[in-house]
Amino acid sequence: MAINSVSQMNQTLKNYDVSNWTRNIELKDDFDFRGQFSELSESSRSTKSFGDFLADSIGKVNQLQQNANVAMERVASGESKNLHETLLAIEKADLAFRQMNQIRMKVIDAYKEIMKMQM
Amino acid sequence: MDINDKTLKALASAVKFREMRQEVISSNIANAETPGFKAKRLDFEEALARALDVDGQLTMKINDPKHFDVGNGGFNNLKPEVYEDPNGVVSESGNTVDIQDEMAREAENKLMYDALIQMINKKLGMKKYILNSER
Amino acid sequence: MDLLKSMKISASGMRANLKRTEVINSNIANAQTTRTAEGGPYRRKQAVFGSEPARDSFSEILEGEIDAHAQSVHVTEVVEDTKPPILKYDPHHPDANKDGYVAMPNINTMIEMADLLQAQRAYEANLKTLNVTKGMAQKALEIGR
Repeated sequence: MAINSVSQMNQTLKNYDVSNWTRNIELKDDFDFRGQFSELSESSRSTKSFGDFLADSIGKVNQLQQNANVAMERVASGESKNLHETLLAIEKADLAFRQMNQIRMKVIDAYKEIMKMQM
Repeated sequence: MDINDKTLKALASAVKFREMRQEVISSNIANAETPGFKAKRLDFEEALARALDVDGQLTMKINDPKHFDVGNGGFNNLKPEVYEDPNGVVSESGNTVDIQDEMAREAENKLMYDALIQMINKKLGMKKYILNSER
Repeated sequence: MDLLKSMKISASGMRANLKRTEVINSNIANAQTTRTAEGGPYRRKQAVFGSEPARDSFSEILEGEIDAHAQSVHVTEVVEDTKPPILKYDPHHPDANKDGYVAMPNINTMIEMADLLQAQRAYEANLKTLNVTKGMAQKALEIGR
C-alpha cells in the first residue's frame, strides 16, 4: 500500500514490528567452532601426536628397506628370477628413504630457524 | 644402515659364485669336442639360501654347522658344489657337452651377474648418499 | 682372478680349434697328393683334443693345487689315418703301380668341409664366451662408480 502521509507511515510501522522482521535466531552461548571443522575435532579427540606420525612413517620406510633387502637376497640365492619386481622394490625403498631424508633436513632447518629467533 | 649389511654380503657371495660358474661354463665350451669329457655343473644356490635362511624369517638357524657366527651369516665359509652333469647325452666320442645348452646357461649367468652388480651399486650409492647429506 | 682363468680357458679353446682348422686345411689341400716325403700317398690327419686342468700360475703348479672344475683344452696329438689308401685305376699316372692302380689319399672333401664348419662354430662359441667373460669383468669394474 502506498504511503501518502505520516500517519499512514506510523500505521505501517506499527503493523510491521521490527521483532517480526528478525527471526528467532537461537545463538549458542559460545559459538562452537569445533563442531564445524571435523579435522580439528578429530585431533582434539584423537590420541596421536605428530611424533607418532613421524614414528609411523619411519617404520614404513624401514619396512620398505627390509622388503628390498629380502628381495635382493632371494635373487642372490637364485630363489627368485623376478628381476623387475626386485628392482622396483629397491627403487621404492630408495625413494622413500630419500624423501624421509629431505623431510629430516627440513625439520632440522625449521628448528635452526626457530632457535635463531631473538626472544 | 649397517656397513656389514647381510644383504650386501649375500650379493657379493653370489657375484663370486657366478664368476666361478662362468669358469665351469668356459671349460665346458672349450672342451665341447674333447673325447671323453663330461660336462660339469656348479651349484651354489642351496648353500647361499641356507646361509641366508630365506624363508621369510630374518633370524638365523643356529643348528647348521655352516653358521658359526650368528648375525654375521657365515658367508666366508661357503663352498659351491661342482659335479658332472648326470643328464648329459653321451656322443660317440664319450663327450656330453651340448653347446646350445652351455650358451643358454652362460646367457642366464651373465644376466643375473649384471643384475647383482647393479644391486650392489644401488646399495653402495645409498650409503654414499647418507654420508653426503649430513647436516 | 676367476674371470682371467675363464678367459685363458676360452683362449685355449680358440687355439685348439685354430690348430684343428689348420689340420683340416692340410687335408683338403692334399686330397690329391700321391707323393710324400715318407713315401706313399698323403694320409688323412686328425687333431685330437685333450683337456687339462687350467693352471693359473706357476705357484699353483708347484703346490699341486689343481682346480679340477676348470679344464682348458689343447691338441694332444695329430694322428694319421691308419686306413689303407684308396686304389684308383689310372695307368697313365706317373705314380701308378704295375697293375695300373694309383694309391690316392682317403680324403672325402665333403667330410672335411663338414669338419671345417664344426671347427669354425666351436671357435666362434669360444670367442663369444670370451667376450661374455670380458663383459663381466668390465661390469665388476663399475662397482661404486
